[in-house]
Amino acid sequence: MSRPTITALVVIIGLLLLADMLVVNAALGQVAAVAVDAAILVAAGAALAGVGALGARRLNDLWRRRGDPVGAVMVVVGMAAMVIAGLRPGSTGTTDPAVQWLLAALLIPIGATLFGLLFVTTLGAARRSLATGSREGTVLVAGALVTSVLLVPLAGPVGDWLADAATWSLAFPIGSVLRGLLIGIALLTAVYAARVVLGIRGADD
Amino acid sequence: MIERVRGLSRAAPILLIVALAIAGQAPDVGWLRAATTDSEGAERMTSVLDALADEPLVLIGFDPDVGTYAEIRPTVRALLADLLARDGRLAFVSLTAEGRALASAEIARLGRGEANPTRLLDLGFIPGAEAGLVALTGDIRVDEGDDGVLAREVEGAGIAAVDAILVIGGIDLGPRSWVEQVIPRITEVPLLAVTPTVLLPEVQPYLVGGQLAAGLITPRDGAAYRQVLELGNLERLVEPIEPRQLPILVGMLIAVAVLGQALASRTLAHVRSAGSRSVG
Repeated sequence: MSRPTITALVVIIGLLLLADMLVVNAALGQVAAVAVDAAILVAAGAALAGVGALGARRLNDLWRRRGDPVGAVMVVVGMAAMVIAGLRPGSTGTTDPAVQWLLAALLIPIGATLFGLLFVTTLGAARRSLATGSREGTVLVAGALVTSVLLVPLAGPVGDWLADAATWSLAFPIGSVLRGLLIGIALLTAVYAARVVLGIRGADD
Repeated sequence: MIERVRGLSRAAPILLIVALAIAGQAPDVGWLRAATTDSEGAERMTSVLDALADEPLVLIGFDPDVGTYAEIRPTVRALLADLLARDGRLAFVSLTAEGRALASAEIARLGRGEANPTRLLDLGFIPGAEAGLVALTGDIRVDEGDDGVLAREVEGAGIAAVDAILVIGGIDLGPRSWVEQVIPRITEVPLLAVTPTVLLPEVQPYLVGGQLAAGLITPRDGAAYRQVLELGNLERLVEPIEPRQLPILVGMLIAVAVLGQALASRTLAHVRSAGSRSVG
């Protein structure tokens, strides 16, 4: 599909959804619903295609004996176990006890453990950023240090004071900085989207 | 000496796990506490729940992610039990794959806890994230095999039947998407949220602005909310043990020590180099 056609589609669907939100009209609502349903189907298809591509890639790695064979076997076995548990004859799908066991006993604890490893890797990254001697790294680590102290779960008046200070720091300095970042990203995205829609390109495009 | 330091660095993760395991087995100490004496988040949540209609139908957007779910899980389970204790009817829907996996596990857990099955409805997974949310405001599709009263009510009236929306958020999809895509398309329905702390900067303005009626965002808010709950025989649905504070304290002290040591070394090196420059 050529670029002007994509741009035209984006503009038309965007305006359609906007009009549907602002104007109460049954016909408009039905057309907008078709666009939304199409987006849902595309998203579902993309998700399935992504999973299929991952499986195919790992099988290909195993077949050609390249990459990480242990990782590839784990991915393929994990996918096969879940597919068999959920789709075998007589299975009740996502509510099947075998699927539930795979989720509760393996998937969720493994995911949480991987996230828990961030504790170690984040501390390592913080030390390395200090080792580079950058001012930004120093400020980042000092901020993390202060926030960690404020979040210490002490009881009594000291704990209450720390909790109040933590709430204030999360709501105001940290919150405002992150909100500023989010607003900046949103503005940048809006400007970039408008440039794409209007066909305005920079000299380097 | 350098070899010894390297060996210590390699062993650090294992030493950390051993320290946390020991702290996890130690008896509770009175000077540690997760909840604060007053939590605005917990008070707001309780007052919004108190104001709901009788037998409220609560649509639960269940989209936490596996990584951060451990932080909010005790609060989520307590809130679900609280809603059921208030004769609430819960309709679960997920828009992320991880959320769906966790919702499925939580619904199964409620079933094992003998929660009233006529008060639970699993709307399953809707792909498409924001597009899925927009579709939810049009009509809600229920499993054809489900012919319960709750299923028929939700299918017939759609989102208009809902008395409140509770978003269990995660990094992929949280309250922001619901505020942007759902709230402008429906009439006044209180939007509640439970999210990990990492989403606080994003969620806080919505709480202040009133788009979110209430939220339990930090572990302290969650602990304060759990502390005042009276669930009667539904106590069985909450986590039997509150998160232990001693392992959390040990982890935090280790983090503070590591960061503090690195920062002190950096400051010392900076001062030394400044001193040598001034002497030179």
